[in-house]
Amino acid sequence: MWGMNAVSDEDRLDRGETLGVLRRAYQVASAQRRFIRLALGLVVLSTMVTLAGPTLVRYAIDNGIKKGDGGALNATVVVYVCIVLFGYVVGRLQFVTLNRAGEGFLRDLRVLTFQRMQRQSMAFFDREKAGVLVSRMTADIESMGELIQFGLLQFVSAFLLLVLASILLVVMSWQLALVAFLVMPFIFAASIKFQRMSNQAYLDVRERVGDNLSTLQEGITGVRVVQAYGQEVEYSKKFHRTNRRLFRSHMHSVRVSTWYFGLVEFAGIAATGLIIGVGGWLVHRGSVTIGTITAFVLLLANLFDPVQQLSQLYNTMQSSAAALHKLFGIIDAVPDVDEVTDPKPLPRRGEIDVREVTFAYQGSTRPALESVSITVGDGERLALVGPTGAGKSTLAKLMARLYDPTRSPDSGLTGVVRFGGVDLRDASLTELRQRIVVVPQEGFCFAGSILENVRIARADATDVEIERALASIGALSRFQAFPDGLHTEVRERGSRLSAGERQLVALARAALVDPAVLVLDEATSNLDPGTEAEVERALERLMSGRTVVVVAHRLSTVRRADRIAVVDDGRLAELGTHDELVVLGGRYAALADAWEKSQPTV
Amino acid sequence: MSRPDKPDTAEGWLLLRRTLAEQKWGLVAGVSIGLAWTAGKVAVPQLTKLGIDRGIEGNGSLALWAGLVVAAGVIAGLFTAMRRWVAFRESRWTETRLRERIFSHLLTLHSGYHDQMATGQLMSRASSDLQQLQAFVVMIPITLSNVAMILAVVVLLITSQPLLAIVALAPLPLVNVLANRFSRRIHPAVLAVQAEQAQLATVVEETVSGIRVIKGFGAEKVRAEKLKVEADDIRRVSMKAARIRSNFLPAIDILPSLGLIAVLGMGGHRVIDGSMTVGDLVKFNAYITMLIWPLRNIGMTVALGQRAAVALMRVNEVLSTPSAIVDPPTPKRLPAGDRVGAVEFDGVRFGYDPARPLLDGFSVSIPAGHAVALVGATGSGKSTVVRLLSRFHDVDDGAVRIDGIDVRDLGLHDLRSAVGIVFEDTFLFHDTVSANIGFARPDSSHETIERAARLAGAHDFVMRLPEGYDTMLGERGYSLSGGQRQRIAIARAIVSDPRVLVLDDATSAVDPSKEHEIRDAMATVMEGRTTIVIAHRPGTIALADTVVLLDEGRAAAVGTHDELLATNERYRQVLAAWAVRDDVGDGDQPVATPEETLDEATGESARTRAVVTSDEGGA
Repeated sequence: MWGMNAVSDEDRLDRGETLGVLRRAYQVASAQRRFIRLALGLVVLSTMVTLAGPTLVRYAIDNGIKKGDGGALNATVVVYVCIVLFGYVVGRLQFVTLNRAGEGFLRDLRVLTFQRMQRQSMAFFDREKAGVLVSRMTADIESMGELIQFGLLQFVSAFLLLVLASILLVVMSWQLALVAFLVMPFIFAASIKFQRMSNQAYLDVRERVGDNLSTLQEGITGVRVVQAYGQEVEYSKKFHRTNRRLFRSHMHSVRVSTWYFGLVEFAGIAATGLIIGVGGWLVHRGSVTIGTITAFVLLLANLFDPVQQLSQLYNTMQSSAAALHKLFGIIDAVPDVDEVTDPKPLPRRGEIDVREVTFAYQGSTRPALESVSITVGDGERLALVGPTGAGKSTLAKLMARLYDPTRSPDSGLTGVVRFGGVDLRDASLTELRQRIVVVPQEGFCFAGSILENVRIARADATDVEIERALASIGALSRFQAFPDGLHTEVRERGSRLSAGERQLVALARAALVDPAVLVLDEATSNLDPGTEAEVERALERLMSGRTVVVVAHRLSTVRRADRIAVVDDGRLAELGTHDELVVLGGRYAALADAWEKSQPTV
Repeated sequence: MSRPDKPDTAEGWLLLRRTLAEQKWGLVAGVSIGLAWTAGKVAVPQLTKLGIDRGIEGNGSLALWAGLVVAAGVIAGLFTAMRRWVAFRESRWTETRLRERIFSHLLTLHSGYHDQMATGQLMSRASSDLQQLQAFVVMIPITLSNVAMILAVVVLLITSQPLLAIVALAPLPLVNVLANRFSRRIHPAVLAVQAEQAQLATVVEETVSGIRVIKGFGAEKVRAEKLKVEADDIRRVSMKAARIRSNFLPAIDILPSLGLIAVLGMGGHRVIDGSMTVGDLVKFNAYITMLIWPLRNIGMTVALGQRAAVALMRVNEVLSTPSAIVDPPTPKRLPAGDRVGAVEFDGVRFGYDPARPLLDGFSVSIPAGHAVALVGATGSGKSTVVRLLSRFHDVDDGAVRIDGIDVRDLGLHDLRSAVGIVFEDTFLFHDTVSANIGFARPDSSHETIERAARLAGAHDFVMRLPEGYDTMLGERGYSLSGGQRQRIAIARAIVSDPRVLVLDDATSAVDPSKEHEIRDAMATVMEGRTTIVIAHRPGTIALADTVVLLDEGRAAAVGTHDELLATNERYRQVLAAWAVRDDVGDGDQPVATPEETLDEATGESARTRAVVTSDEGGA
């Protein structure tokens, strides 16, 4: 099973990188170093116990049995029993120690990666695919866990066994050792060839498995379309094709590896034959004892297994090193929205001033916003409108410092966003998040109770404060009516709640913080009309007395704003009140007209 | 400790036997090859003994015995490779053909079944469950030849030195017992680890998806604490599993050593006595070492078999589910002619839960070539109406007819080629634009596809895609905007050239400022064709000749848009409720991969807007 881990050429680390990863891993494992050293010591001991068996048999044959000395035989047996019992104790300790070190390391690695990941800016999360981040922190670390549980021990002990057994062979009889080593180069060469070929084959299998699962999933999720167009048979055929490709790919991977297992089996037995042949001749010449022959026969069985294990584990080790390398990439990434060491205090209230701000998403050549300047007065309500991708939301997020402005390719300026005259980059993030709160489009809920979900906004809030926050937006009674009240578990992603209730939770979070500025991204998703009205009311209560910047999608919202900013193609196109802009007869006027028309005449 | 899955596995084993019977000969070949391996393998210690006793200690030919050992090695090596090959071929084949059977069956199962089953569930039937089966099948030739080896070795040892054999072999059954007990104990521990890992994954997944909330409130610490709890849990249960391993594995390792020591002690004295040779000693040693792995392996295979039987039962649940919607025994044919495509809903009653009908007494008659808009509040059953038309479900009472023939009397394939649906969620396959458009007629010529694309207003943007009609779409392919996807879906319906076209809220994914583009495409396709369009925006409703208001399971009102607006209070309410939800722009939330889609998206929306303003402004 271990061989199924494969590593692609672009993922494979070179020697320098591998050493770097190992050094870094050892640093992370600082708390486990004691256990690691202890485990290594125990592995050395247990390897020696393994090798003691054949050595004792040799001694018993040569000094006891051959000489007819029953006492020496009995003494050897007693020593043997002791060593085996000792080996048992070492084995148990080894398991526990190694796992303690390994699991401790993984635990620290999980916590560290998660902490560092969370420190990254929003830009990082936009850039990285969510699925990839999650699988780095789960599947990748889990596979490392399996490696630690089984593979690492095998790897180290196989390596030690190989080295120590070789030494032992030479010490017992260099002539016979030479015979054994004659076979070794072939096995090594075969192992390397096997490792390369199987790696390639497994990569292919992995890709085919992915293809096959995708087609499978596509067929299941798209079953209505398939049936609606009567394409069941055609589509089955398509799946059969990818499925057969997977089968052939599996068989190819068996083909390139199966000869190797045969060869290793043959080599082990053939070496025994050679030892009998050559060893027998040496015994007749008197240069080797029969006990040594026996020990060789027994040891050689131990000598080929490690080579086989090493070559299979090699891929696993490499893919784990590659996974670790990527994790360290996350851990060591410097966050691009970072806190200054000596933050300036923010005033309780103030205006938001956006000056000459340009912003480009990483990897995109065109800026999403270009030289935008706008001031939102204390207590003012500003609506941002514009077509998809024009930069409305981006502008709103810059006002809350979810991103920092980037350098403009045209003017060379970076621009600045200020709250109450303080550059947001000079403020502490904690304080900033208390002044300016972003309420995202859909109310996102985490698994946990309603209380816990609201408390996300302020960890030290008491239950009473949370109730007060809910009451302030008029949502308390609704949640109290739940069977477990505010302690009701909302389940994963809040699936227990309706979309509207989730939004109420999101608004309650903002109310709990009681910020000076609210940045709202209005929901585009449909709510049922009943909840819709309740959410509207809650929002209205939340907005009163605060500065509000809203990315608007609805006529009613835009109408309620003091001023409207039209963002188009990354620039501020128009700015003014509804009436002013309608008189202006520009983009807003056209938009408002189009959208009046799509309303039914009631 | 009794295991809950034990009583039901009987059925699973039966299924397993039946499934494997289909590959009888392959498996027989695998087992035969395995037995050849056994012969080679078992010969080695015996030959070694003879080599030592006759070649080294005696005066026999050394080369002969050494050569025979090597020859046995050739046999064992050759047959172990072949056994592996055959075992994998058979097991992968079982997996492959069952997966195909599941997939083909799933595609024929009725809509109601798919509504109930989560995709992930069905996916794991066809992937992880079959893998469990594969893991067992591959062990069959290996385990059976191992059993043969154990029997052969036991017989050989007992016939040569009965007492010594019994003493040396005595600890070995314990290996089997301990290995069995171990796999029983470790299984729940492994499951516990997996469960904890899943919990941690949930926290990570939620954090990444909810990162806006977390960043917005600076709640990083709270989440970090939560993760720490989960990470500690994983460590705790993993250590528990490690302790179980430490309780069993070293003990399993030590047992054979006890046998070896017994051989050395007892056998050594016998050699001194002269009742045994040194060769025998080596032989016993080698045989006992040889038995360790097979003995542990048997327990493992039994556990694998149990898991495979349970997995196969789950698989069989899917395979034995009959489709509720099937062809009639003697299907009728739709009449041919020019003016075809009349649709009639006659007193239809239907409910997903029959006790609570969603539609009750729904009657609407649509003449051939006529276009009807179906309007209703959320959950009023609009989509259900069209699902009944193409028999995704069957009516509980009443009838749905096309050109006078009950849809239940038509062959499913005929019916579904007569009805073309553009779904609300435009599902596109991971395939080229051409293949997606030509989905209903895979042998369509490029001309047909291009014509359909032009009609649907998709040709222009398709030509701008990196590889035109050969651009790959779907989840892993090029991502199109909602409006573009919709137009591809409309083109797909055009290619199928249906008698009755259904546009199920085809514009809902598009913001109102862009709706008119789709509307133009829709108008072209609808010309002269019976069409049912589910809509809530006045512009789209205007495409239809007649409007049907669906309320409380019935056709509450029928008339033109203007008539209903003027006379029907409920109609106004429904439309007003929809209007509240409609939006002006669209959120410009950053696209996952800006370099790929942002420019295209921005470019498109900028162009679209210009058209909207000039069109509607001038009107």
